[in-house]
Amino acid sequence: MSDPETDGGTAVSEGPDPEPFGGQVGDLYRTVRDHELSVVVGSAVFLLFFPFLLVDGLEVVNGLLGDPGIGGYEGLASLVLIYGIIVVGYNLLLGYTGLLSFGHAAFFGTAAYVTGLVSSTTEISFLGLSATMPGITSPLAMILFGTLFATLLAWPIGFMSIRRSGVYFAVLTLTFGQMLYFFALGPGAGITNGDNGFSDLNVGELFGFINLDGLVPFVGKMEYVFIAVLFLLALTVANRIINSPYGLIFKALGENEQRVEFVGLNVFRYKLMAFVISGSFAGLGGSLFAIHEAFVHPSTALYWIQSGDFVIMTVLGGTGSLVGPVFGAFIFEYISNVISGTTLPVIGQVGSLWRLILGAVFVAIVWVFPRGVYGGLVDIKNFIAGQAVDALRSDESSPPAEPEQGGDD
Amino acid sequence: MGLLEMEGLTKRFSGLTAVDDVDLTVERGETKAIIGPNGAGKSTTINLITGLLEPTAGHVYYDPPDEAAADIHELRTISDEERSADQQQRLDELRSEYSITGLEPHEVVQTGISKSFQTASIFPGMTARENVQMAALATEHGSFKLNFLRRQSSFDAVDEIATEMLEAVDLLRDAGEEAASLPYGDKRRLEIAIALASEPDLLFMDEPTAGMSPEETQATVDLVERLQQELGLTIVLVEHDMEIIFSIADSIAVLNRGAIIADGTPDEVEGDTDVQEAYLGGVEL
Repeated sequence: MSDPETDGGTAVSEGPDPEPFGGQVGDLYRTVRDHELSVVVGSAVFLLFFPFLLVDGLEVVNGLLGDPGIGGYEGLASLVLIYGIIVVGYNLLLGYTGLLSFGHAAFFGTAAYVTGLVSSTTEISFLGLSATMPGITSPLAMILFGTLFATLLAWPIGFMSIRRSGVYFAVLTLTFGQMLYFFALGPGAGITNGDNGFSDLNVGELFGFINLDGLVPFVGKMEYVFIAVLFLLALTVANRIINSPYGLIFKALGENEQRVEFVGLNVFRYKLMAFVISGSFAGLGGSLFAIHEAFVHPSTALYWIQSGDFVIMTVLGGTGSLVGPVFGAFIFEYISNVISGTTLPVIGQVGSLWRLILGAVFVAIVWVFPRGVYGGLVDIKNFIAGQAVDALRSDESSPPAEPEQGGDD
Repeated sequence: MGLLEMEGLTKRFSGLTAVDDVDLTVERGETKAIIGPNGAGKSTTINLITGLLEPTAGHVYYDPPDEAAADIHELRTISDEERSADQQQRLDELRSEYSITGLEPHEVVQTGISKSFQTASIFPGMTARENVQMAALATEHGSFKLNFLRRQSSFDAVDEIATEMLEAVDLLRDAGEEAASLPYGDKRRLEIAIALASEPDLLFMDEPTAGMSPEETQATVDLVERLQQELGLTIVLVEHDMEIIFSIADSIAVLNRGAIIADGTPDEVEGDTDVQEAYLGGVEL
C-alpha cells in the first residue's frame, strides 16, 4: 500500500491534496497517522475526556450564553457511543459498499430484545412442578447473545435482500424490519411484552465483581467505561476491516460493481458480508442500548424510523470515513436529547419538534458539506494546511514542526 | 486446436435472434477479431461467453484437450435430430467436462478469461495501484475469502502483481494517481492492466481503441501486440477500425444478423464476396 487513506472519503477531492509536510518528517507523520495503534490510542484519549467535555465543557458554554439549557449530561455520552458503534458499522454498508438499507433497526432491536430476554427470570411449570430459571445476567454474555443473534438474523435477511439492488433492496430491508416490528407488537407479545415494552432486564456485575452503576473518578459511571471500551473495540475492528482487502473491495463495489464481478470476485458474497458485518455492529449497539436504557419498546427498537435515523446519522456525519458517522450520531443525539428540552424563538418549547430542528440542520449540513460534517472538517483542515504550506514555502529557513494530532479526529 | 470452442451458441430475446447457432473456434495464442455491422451480435456473443448473459441454446467450451476439441468440431456440424445416441452421449460428456456455459461472470474470470470493456470500466475514486490490486486480490485469493481482519499491506504477492501489470502498460509512474484524474487513453490502459492482473489465458477487448486519438490508438495497437507476444495471450477483439484489424488480427470472424458468414485469415475474409455483400454493401475493401 502506497498510502492507505482511511479518512479521505469517497468523493473526489478537488485540486492537489495539500499534504502538509514532505520529506522525512512528513513520512513519519503519515506513518504515525495511518498506524492502527494511533487510531486506538487517539480514540481512547478522546473517550476519556468525552464525558467531561460533554458535561462540564458544555456547561461553561451554556453559562456564557445565559443558561438556555444546552448543557450535556452524563448519559448522553453513552448514547452517542452506542449509536456511534451502530453507524460506524452501518457506514461500511452505506458509505463504502453503497448499499442503502432501511432495515437495520431489525438487528438493533432484535439484539436489544435478546439481550433483555436472556437476562430475565423465567418460571417453568411442568407436571405440577414449577421452577425458576435465573437469567444470564453477566453483561458481556448478554451482549454476546444479542450480537450473535443479530448477526445470525442479518444472514437470511441479507441473503434475500441483496439479490435485488437499488430501491428494491432498500424496500426489501424496510419490509423485513417492519415485519419484525409488527411481530414484536402482536404475535410476539408473549415474549416481548408488546406495546407495554420489555423491562425485565437484570444486569449483573461485570466479571462478577464490577458494578456497572459504580462510579469512576472523572469519567462518571462504570457503565460508560464499559460502553467506551466496546466502542473502542468496534472502532478498531472497523478500522481493520477498512484496511483489509474487504475495505478495498467494499469501496470498489460502491464504485463499479460490474468491474468487481469481472475481476473475478464473488460480488454477492462480499455484499452479503458487508451486510452481515454492519448487522453485527447494529446488534452490538442494540445490546448496549438495552443495558443502558433497561427498557426495550418496539417503537424505539424496531420501528422503521429507527432505521432511518441510522441513515441520517451516517450521512450527517460523513460517509466513507471511519469516524465520520460518529459526528452524526453526536449531533443527532444532542438535538434529540438536549435541544428538545430548550425553548427557542418562533417555535417556543421544542419538545417533540426536535425533528424539525434536526431536519433544518441536516439540510444545512448536506448543503454546505456534501461529504458530511467530518468531510467538511477534513476540507477545512486541508485548506488551512495548504495555507500553512504556502506560508512555509515563502519562508524556507525554518523547518516545519510536527503538528499535534489525534489519530481519529 | 482451440482454446475456446463454441457450439451452436444461440441467444433469443423475445422474438429477436441476436446470436444464431454460432460455431466458432479461437485458437490458442492467436489474435482473433470479430467484426460485423451494428447489431450483428458481436457484443451479445461476448456476453454469452463471459457469463453476463445465459445462452438460449448451445455451449462454450474452454481449453479442451485436442481430442475433445476434434470431437466438438465434428459433432457441432451435426444437428440435434441427426445425432445418434452415441454421439449425443459423447457430446453430453464433453459438455459436462469442458463447458463454461452457465457460470457466473466471476467464475468465468477465475477459469482464465478476462475482459476489457468498451468504455474504460475502472474504479474512478481509487488510485491506479488500488485498481489493479483489486484484480490481483481475486487472482491470489480466489473469488471469495474470509480475511476481513488481515491487513491489506500484508499481501506482498498482490502488490507485486499490481506493480508488474502497471509496468506492463507503462502506468507505474502514475500508480498513486486517482484513476478519475488520468487521461482517457491512460484509463483504457489501466483497464487493460486490471484485465491482465487476473492472469488470463484469454483476453476479450471490446473496441479497445474507441474514442482514442491516432497516437493513443497506435500506442494501444503496439501494446496489444506486445502483450500477445510477451505473455502468450490469446486475444479476441471486437473492433470497427478495419486498419487496426487487418494489421493485428491473425484471423477474422464476420458476424451478420447473429450468424457467422465468414471465418478465416484476413486475406480470406477480404476476398470473401459474402462479406463484401452483406457487411460492406458490395464496396471493395
